[in-house]
Parts: sequence; structure tokens; C-alpha cells
Amino acid sequence: MASEGAVLPRRLTGAGALFSSLVAMAGKEFTIMTRYPVEFIASFGQVFALVAMFTLAGLTFAGSPGEGGNFGGVVIYGFILFMFLSDTLWTIGYNIRREQKQGTLEALYLSPASKFASLVSRVSNNLIWTSLLSLAGVWLMSALVGKLPFANPGLGLYLLAMTLSGTFGIGFAFAAITLRVKETGETLANVLQFVLLILCANFFPFSALPVGLQAISRAIPLAYAVDAFRSTLMGYPEGFPELAPIGVEIVIVTIFGLLMPLIGYWSYRAAENHERRSGGLAEY
Amino acid sequence: MIAKPSLGSKFSIVLATARMRMLNVSRYKGQLFVEILIPIVFAAMPILLGRATGGENAEANFLRNTGTANYQGFMLIGSSTFIIVTFAFWLVGYWIRFEQETGTLEAIYLTPTSRVWNAAGIALYSAIRSLISGSVAYFLGSFIFGVNPFQGQLILALAFILVGLIPLFGMTLMFGALVMKVKEANSLVNLMQWTVSLLMGVFFTVAVFPPLMRLVALAFPPTWMVNGVRSALLGVGYFFGEWYLDLAVLWGFLLISPLLGYWVFSGMERNIRRSEGVGQY
Repeated sequence: MASEGAVLPRRLTGAGALFSSLVAMAGKEFTIMTRYPVEFIASFGQVFALVAMFTLAGLTFAGSPGEGGNFGGVVIYGFILFMFLSDTLWTIGYNIRREQKQGTLEALYLSPASKFASLVSRVSNNLIWTSLLSLAGVWLMSALVGKLPFANPGLGLYLLAMTLSGTFGIGFAFAAITLRVKETGETLANVLQFVLLILCANFFPFSALPVGLQAISRAIPLAYAVDAFRSTLMGYPEGFPELAPIGVEIVIVTIFGLLMPLIGYWSYRAAENHERRSGGLAEY
Repeated sequence: MIAKPSLGSKFSIVLATARMRMLNVSRYKGQLFVEILIPIVFAAMPILLGRATGGENAEANFLRNTGTANYQGFMLIGSSTFIIVTFAFWLVGYWIRFEQETGTLEAIYLTPTSRVWNAAGIALYSAIRSLISGSVAYFLGSFIFGVNPFQGQLILALAFILVGLIPLFGMTLMFGALVMKVKEANSLVNLMQWTVSLLMGVFFTVAVFPPLMRLVALAFPPTWMVNGVRSALLGVGYFFGEWYLDLAVLWGFLLISPLLGYWVFSGMERNIRRSEGVGQY
């Protein structure tokens, strides 16, 4: 029983508390990031190398300068989405794993701060950094292949936001899997990343995929997100979008963006409760 | 007084280091599977992009730009060589960092032998692991993409890889010295693997580069390695017209690069031991 005059711990609930927790946790992640300045320069270098590599690869198939249709737009907009997806899909699980290894995950669970904010804070800085990298990538691609198509920025931004929301959900679900499978999570992440790279056709049009794989792509909401995002920014050239009419794709992406975070967060809490009951939270 | 280790003892260090790391990685079967998957998926992306870009003329355009119509084989060779180069950077360049992280670096410094024999053991381990992954990926990828993996001069291609491996490891030793100094191993290795992939022409020929960049690319042993393999298997054309001239250039690298790597690494190591200590990271 609390003695008279003792201060009871304030409950950190509500939007204000959630926001301040998020800001504090993102601030901590930002402080860690600033300790590794080479990482900033290296990530720019990597983006330049990757964009140049795929652009030059595409150009070796073009008959004459300017030939090759929409390949610049297909590659760069797919690449931008791929970078954002990588951030949201894998970073959350990877960071949970890092907290386990550092021995700080249990301490985080003892604090009355929002677990949701804790998960989101893992990627908030990365998203800002990735936005800058995307702009650098677009600039490089324009320098290599000429002016890129850029249409419907408002709808493009909406589709990007919904896609990111959906991939946050997948990120939560993946963090749940990481809690359960521990070290195998990294291998799983790698395999899944490669499978999605092909099935979601980030670096090439869906029409290049064999028919059987196209059928599997049609069952993945993320594939519609890639298709809708790049088709919209390219101004719907002939043959785009490839998987479904744009109206249908917008609906699919919206449902994905609204439902997936709920499903993902629910599965994370379920995995977390299981680990807390079994005492495996700090095991790694 | 501790006796100076014999050549036999030094050789046994190389084998023991390689064996220890092989044993370690054999516990991670999923990771080994991913290593075979990486070059295939990596090659699939430009292949699919090329099919969409070039359409019906993909093969003809590719032939005009590279010297072979077999773009699937061209990309597969590039991505399989990429895994060999990447492994060299991750395993040899990252070696000191790995020992730091596992807390064994200082113990290694207490043993009465030179670190270069440990590095040679890591290089041997990297060569075995990457050659297995690269070869399996090449043969499996050839099956998936419908390419004949036995076309051309396989033995000559293998000679280019084996001769190219040694200068590559010399290069990674220099890189390891940089990692030891800057400490941010992950970022540096990531940057280096993509930069070298770009420079060696993983999915294209270096002829597409501007003159200065082409010159930089030709100063990298992997560029000669991958072009030698492509020329031996697909007939894209050697840089100097004949296979023995290109192989001679790689032999030149083979003589210079390991010595230079050893000199840079030892110098950096000595400086760091005097100033901050190698165990700090």
C-alpha cells in the first residue's frame, strides 16, 4: 500500500505519452547513428554503386541510346520502394535481436513506456535517411539515362505511405518471428528478402517473370504496391499497371496499409507474451 | 625460451585456422543455403530486366554491346564471381573485427607466431567456402536459366579464378588494415563489395565506363578475373586479345598485391598497437 504523500508512478498512456516516448527513443537511436559517420557516407556510396550497376546492366540490352522504354522509371521507383521496404521489413526484428544481444531488452520491458513506440522508433530515423538516399538515387539515374518520368506525385505519396504502413505491419510480424526463432531470424530475413525481390519485381517489370511466378505475385499485396507506385509515378504508360487496373490496386494497397499493422502488432504481442511466460525473452 | 616456429608449424596454423572456421560455419546450414541463392537471385534481376528492356532484340542487342548473345551465362558468371569477391572482403577484411567481437584477438596476439599465418588460414577458408558456393550457384543457375555450364574452356576459366584469388586476398589485407583503423567494419565492407562489383563489371563490360573510371577498374584484379572467365567460357574477348597476356597481368598482380597487402597491414597494425591498442573497437 502506498504511504500518504508518496508519488505513484505516472501511467504512460495516451497519444501524448506515446509521442514523447517515440521522440525519446528515436532520439536515442539517432545518437547511436551519429557515432558512426562512415555509415552515412558508405550508404550513399552503396546507393550510387547499386543504381549505376543496374542502369548499366539495363543499357547493355538497349539497341540504341534512348531505347529501352520505361526501364529507368521501372528500376529507380522499384529501387526506392525496395530501400523503404528493407528499412521497415527487417530493421525492427534486427533491432529487437540487438537489444537481446546487448542484454537491454528486459530492461526495456520493465519501463512503463509504450512497446509500440519502441518498435516504431527503430525505423523512424532510417526512413528520413532513406528519403535522402532516394533523392540521391533519382538524381544519379537521371544523370545516367536522362529525364525520368514523374507524374501524379500526390497519389504516389499516398501509395508510398500506405505501402510503408503495411510493411511496418510485416516488420512487426517479422519481429515476432525473430523473438521465437532467435538467430535463424536473420537467415529467414535474407531468404524472404530475396524471394520478395523476385516476386515483387522491384527491378524489372512483372511481364518479365514466368507466368507461374506472375500468378504467385498476384497473391502478394506488396507486389500490387510496387506496381501501383511505379505505374503512378511513370504516368501509366502503355502496359502499366501490369497486375490489375489502378483502381483495384489502390484499394488493395489501402487495405494492406490499414490491416497489416494491426495484424503484425497483434502477432508481436502474442509472441512477446509467449516468451515472457516461457522465460525466453532474454535468451538468444 | 620459445623456439621459432618451423615452416611446418606455420602451415599447420593455416590449416587449423581454416578448419576451425569451416567447422564454425557448418553449424549454420541456412546461411550456406542463402549463399548459393544470392548469386542466382542477383543474376536473375538483370536477366529479367534485360528481357523486358530489349524485348525480342535482347540477345542481338546484348551481343552487339558485350560480344556474346548468352546474357544468362554472362550475368551468372558475374554474380558467381561477385560471391567470391564479396566473401574475400567479408571474411579476410572483416577478420580482425571478427576476432575482436569474439574476444579472441588478444589471445591470438599472445601466440608466438605472425598474424599473417592466421590471415592465410582465413584466406584459405574464404577460398574454399566461396569456390563451393560460387560453383554450385553457377551450375544450379545454369540449369534454372537453361544455359550449358560446360561450354567454352572450363579449365582456363578455373585458372583465371585461382590465379585471381591470391591478388584479391592481398587487396583485402590492405582493406583489413583500413577496417582496423576506421573500426566501422560493416559499413566499409558493404561499401567496398558494391564498389568493387561495379568496377569489375558484374553485369556489363568495363568498356562502358568513361576512360578514367575504366583505368581504375583495370587496376582491380577482380576485373581481370571476371573478364578472363567470361572470355574463356563465352568468348567475349580478352583485354589484350590473348588469354596468356591477360593471365600474365593477373600473375603480375599476384606478385605485387600480397606483398603490398602484407606491408600495409603490418604497418597499420604496428601503429595501432603503439597508439590505441588493437583490442579496442
